[in-house]
Amino acid sequence: MHIEDGILSPLACGVLYGVTAAFVVPGISEIKRRIRENPLYKPFLAMVGVAVFVISAMHFPVPVTGSCSHPCGTALAAIIVGPFATVVISAIVLFFQAIFLGHGGITTIGANTVSMGIAGGFSGYLLWKFLRALRCPLWFAAGLAGLVGDLVTYLVAALELAIGLHGNIPLVKQWMIFFIGYAPTQLPLAVAEAVFTSAVLMAMLHRRPDLLSNILPKKERE
Amino acid sequence: MSNQFNVSKDTIEDTRFFDGFTKTMLAVLFLLLLIVFASGKYMSSHAMKGVGTDDKVNDLASVAARTQHHPFIELPGDAELGAFSVANFFCGMIVGYHWLKLFGTKSHNSAKKTVDD
Repeated sequence: MHIEDGILSPLACGVLYGVTAAFVVPGISEIKRRIRENPLYKPFLAMVGVAVFVISAMHFPVPVTGSCSHPCGTALAAIIVGPFATVVISAIVLFFQAIFLGHGGITTIGANTVSMGIAGGFSGYLLWKFLRALRCPLWFAAGLAGLVGDLVTYLVAALELAIGLHGNIPLVKQWMIFFIGYAPTQLPLAVAEAVFTSAVLMAMLHRRPDLLSNILPKKERE
Repeated sequence: MSNQFNVSKDTIEDTRFFDGFTKTMLAVLFLLLLIVFASGKYMSSHAMKGVGTDDKVNDLASVAARTQHHPFIELPGDAELGAFSVANFFCGMIVGYHWLKLFGTKSHNSAKKTVDD
């Protein structure tokens, strides 16, 4: 989902930067508010940000398709530190990946943040909330959030490309062409991300349930 | 001489090379590396290039856009491996530092608090 410079038009890049800004501003407010509520949120945010940087740069080979791809980690981040804060984290992560690792581009930070931070983070978070409202087990809700967050990230990245480049080809057809470029490799990785999201969240909850009080029901907190 | 890592004699005596956390992390590391190596072996024996899907789709998009895509910075050869290693080393240090602060064992946290006081 790391779209590079030179593909999207300046207009598309500008619009997607605007969408990102609309989420980054409340994200900064969310971060400030949560730091006031709990000083431990600061190191928590730093740790999660760095983890997203590593996870989204870690390419795994998938032998079935003969190509490599990476998980995203934004669904996990959204559950732990909040969805708006995850957008801020993603924008920073994508900036550093572009300038240090040659992953993605500068003009496309907005586009990549929309797919990874906004779509991936929010879809995972909303699904997590929905499943928890249905009283699904924590591990199951987290796992499914990780899986869906990963796939939605790539669906949206493909959509961004399709909207900008479909020309005379029907939008949905072009969207699926781009998504099929990602999907066969991404599906097994999305399953792996589900396991990872579930395992990390359960390990954190086992270790310090008091730190994650906002994601535990009242009964379990007591 | 005292610093925050010079916690107490008991903590130092409790520190082992292979405690539960280290064993778990090493097990996960070897499992992941095994998957990577086995996949790599299979791919090389079947003449698969193993390129990133991001690159594949960027190439596809370049054809549709009739332009050339390019990363902000091009890292040739082993420089990419070097950049990843440096970045991930320091990321590991930062995650480890905060992990210990937030999720370290209760005995460690309480011992540290005693010394800080």
